[in-house]
Amino acid sequence: MTMMFALAIAVLFAAGCYLLLKPDFVKILGGIILISNAAILFIMAAGLSRGREAIYPIEPGQRVSDPLVQSMALTAIVISFGVSALMIGMIYRVYMAHRSIDVELISDIEEREVQIEEEERLDQSIDAMPDREETVADPAAEREPQAVAT
Amino acid sequence: MNPLVVVILVSLAAAPTTALAGFWRPRWAGPVALAGTALAFAAALWNWHSPGATVDREWAPTWGLRLHVQSDGLAAVYSLLATGIGLAVVLYALAYIPSHLHHQHRDDGDATRFFAFLLLFMGAMVGLVHAQDLFLIFLFWDLTAIASYFLIGYDRQRREARISAIMALQITCVSAIGFLIGSLMLGERFGTYQLPELIAQVESSRYVTVAMAFMLIAALAKSAQAPAHFWLPRAMAAPTPVSAYLHSAAMVAAGVFLIGRIYPLIALSDLLLDVLTIAGAASILVGGILALSRDNLKQLLAYSTISQYGYVVLMFGIGGAYGVGAASFYVLAHGVCKCALFLTAGAVSEATDQRELSNLGGLWRHYPLLAVASGVAAAALAGLPLTIGWFKDELFFNAAVDDGFPATLMAMIAATLTFAYMGRFWLGIFAGPDRGAGRSISPLLVWPIVALAVVAVVGGIVTGPFVRLAAAAASATLGRDVDLHVGYAINTEAKIALVVFASGAILVATYRFWREFPVTIAILGAVVGPDRIYSSVINGLNRLSDRIHWIEVRDLRSRVASVLAPAAVLFVVSLVMTRFTGPFRTGDLKSGDGPIVLMLILIGIAALTAAAPRNHFSMVLALSGVGYGLAVVYSLLRAPDVAIVAVLIETILSLLVFGFLALLPADVDPAEVIPVDDPEQQAQEDHALRDAGLAISAGAFAFVVAWGVMSRPAALESVIAEHVALTPDAHGSDVVTTILADFRGFDTAGEITVLGIAFLGAATLLRRRVAR
Repeated sequence: MTMMFALAIAVLFAAGCYLLLKPDFVKILGGIILISNAAILFIMAAGLSRGREAIYPIEPGQRVSDPLVQSMALTAIVISFGVSALMIGMIYRVYMAHRSIDVELISDIEEREVQIEEEERLDQSIDAMPDREETVADPAAEREPQAVAT
Repeated sequence: MNPLVVVILVSLAAAPTTALAGFWRPRWAGPVALAGTALAFAAALWNWHSPGATVDREWAPTWGLRLHVQSDGLAAVYSLLATGIGLAVVLYALAYIPSHLHHQHRDDGDATRFFAFLLLFMGAMVGLVHAQDLFLIFLFWDLTAIASYFLIGYDRQRREARISAIMALQITCVSAIGFLIGSLMLGERFGTYQLPELIAQVESSRYVTVAMAFMLIAALAKSAQAPAHFWLPRAMAAPTPVSAYLHSAAMVAAGVFLIGRIYPLIALSDLLLDVLTIAGAASILVGGILALSRDNLKQLLAYSTISQYGYVVLMFGIGGAYGVGAASFYVLAHGVCKCALFLTAGAVSEATDQRELSNLGGLWRHYPLLAVASGVAAAALAGLPLTIGWFKDELFFNAAVDDGFPATLMAMIAATLTFAYMGRFWLGIFAGPDRGAGRSISPLLVWPIVALAVVAVVGGIVTGPFVRLAAAAASATLGRDVDLHVGYAINTEAKIALVVFASGAILVATYRFWREFPVTIAILGAVVGPDRIYSSVINGLNRLSDRIHWIEVRDLRSRVASVLAPAAVLFVVSLVMTRFTGPFRTGDLKSGDGPIVLMLILIGIAALTAAAPRNHFSMVLALSGVGYGLAVVYSLLRAPDVAIVAVLIETILSLLVFGFLALLPADVDPAEVIPVDDPEQQAQEDHALRDAGLAISAGAFAFVVAWGVMSRPAALESVIAEHVALTPDAHGSDVVTTILADFRGFDTAGEITVLGIAFLGAATLLRRRVAR
């Protein structure tokens, strides 16, 4: 049984990872849900004892299912639901802003925006330099320290 | 009051005081700095006259670190240099820095930065020379590097200055790691980081040799010995007072100071002494020849410094009482002269706006006092009689003659080179045809030079204090009493000196016939020299860092991968390193487990279906299947609370996701669009293969971890029994809910808060309209 649980956890986790690598926000959401499920199953399967429900009346000496992992699993289920809900909200906002849920498309757009911003900032800082002559004299050499003329 | 404490505290407090004064009233930075340096110099003098004081306090006892400082001869030499030369330099800078800032159209308030960092430099030097704890030494050592970084890069609007500052910082700080490694090696083996204790108990062994070799890397790189010499001429980008201080009393001197401090440990290995000898000789030649090739005043002096400290390192390599004594005396004499020469170069450039020897000449007519003072300093460096330089050379030749013919020859070559470039320097500026006067020079720029020249002459007549100081330093280095004697006499050393003067004079007179030789060597050095290696290493690292940065930030997935991939490597390493004891247990299948296994298989199929490249809708359906399947498994595991919550949550989540999908138009789903046969599509499919590989390996690791953990359950089950037994006391009958609501009530309260915030966030995100 132990190995069966481990296998099931592994399949859930692998499927989740696969979805996580997709460039599609909804699939990423699915991946996170699957990985959460793998974690919850892991917690449940790691219980130390199996027996009847841990609900009174329990006769002395009777084995019950490990109640501790159950409470942990409950917490995990609820929290992972909260994470998923928040993510849905964010994806919706991303869609509204970019009209796309393609991660790569969106990051391309962002990159271009950052580049434009940086160019603007560079222009401003050159204007602010005290000795403009020196800064613009050799723009190619600005990047790397050259060998010393010993 | 203990003079040792006074000198260290005054030196260290000088920098922050200056900075505060400067921030309050920029005009006050200079005078406050002058007062601080003067006080520090007075304290250093006082400290010299009451030697042997020690302060030893606990610092970090669990690591064996102590605040251990001690005043001895070696500390006296270098602290007097640091504060005395510091005084001359600050005095000079009072006139120099304002006009320097004026030339560059900078704010006068920038002077504060200069004085504060110069005094920080001085404080770090004074702390360094007194420290006896290896970590304390390391701390002050790096503090000098940091101060030098800010001083070399003082003209921060100049690219040249910035590059030079970074280079000095990199060379000295990276090599300082060598000192740290050596310290840790010694501390690990011998159980103490206190230098006196180490010197008392360490014996020669290969381990010690390796540790000391690491420390030597730091010392030689800092004292700009070949092949790490190239940062020093670059550091000439600094304002002249900084160069003067850097070369004569701080930074570079710190390198040879460290050799003097750890010398007893170095001397345990003949190999390391040979390394010192070779490094010293190489630096003498490289520095001396390149100094002859330079036209720029400060560059000439910079190479001269490399060569001069080559002398000192060579003398340490020769060793013995005279070698070590001569080394300390040399540092003292060199500090005084070299500072005066740098200040001369600065004053001349300030007056004439010229920095090249070929553009200068005949200035003795216009600045006679400056000419005499710097002539004395140059003569002293060249070793002419009636100056302190005569004795530095006498001690040097003495040590070399004792060592044998090769050392004597080396010493003669060294002294001849020095004579030649000093002659070139002074004659080039002050002698020759008159090229007209420059502006008048402020007396503040001249008098410090005169004062230093007076010291050089006094040292040539009244040798007592200087020789006693050097002997005390040698005693501190060698750990036994050293007696040095100098005096004017016709002996072997004097004859050598005469030969040197003659050949040096010939070299100066015939300079124009052979000047192509050093220039050729300089060009060769620029092509294949170590600075080329340095810049290619730096550029390579820069490119590597750019590439990694690019991979890291390119898109979200590579950003995630740049976190996950190193984590995966660490994980594999830890998995390999972990020693598994006991077998992996498959666990027994009981009769009632059949339904659970069946459900698990179904869940697996559902998960794989969800991952298969279908549209969003079928993915969410498959996810719901997984969720409900898990709920069934939980109920079969006799966990009714979990099963009920799982069903509830799964229902809500499925509804939420379906509702969300309804909000998105269908064409946003790539799977809903009619596939177009284009290269991008092809790339997507390649990605699918790569992703599948990654996912399968991730799953494999999850399997190993889960199976490994579950095969070795904790032995104690008492906590279950405890919870079960306590439940009726908490007025509950369901153990799980009682745990959540009572035993771990605070956790649950926190969880509810988290959930509340998450829902507030989600609701806000879903409701607010986006303007675009």
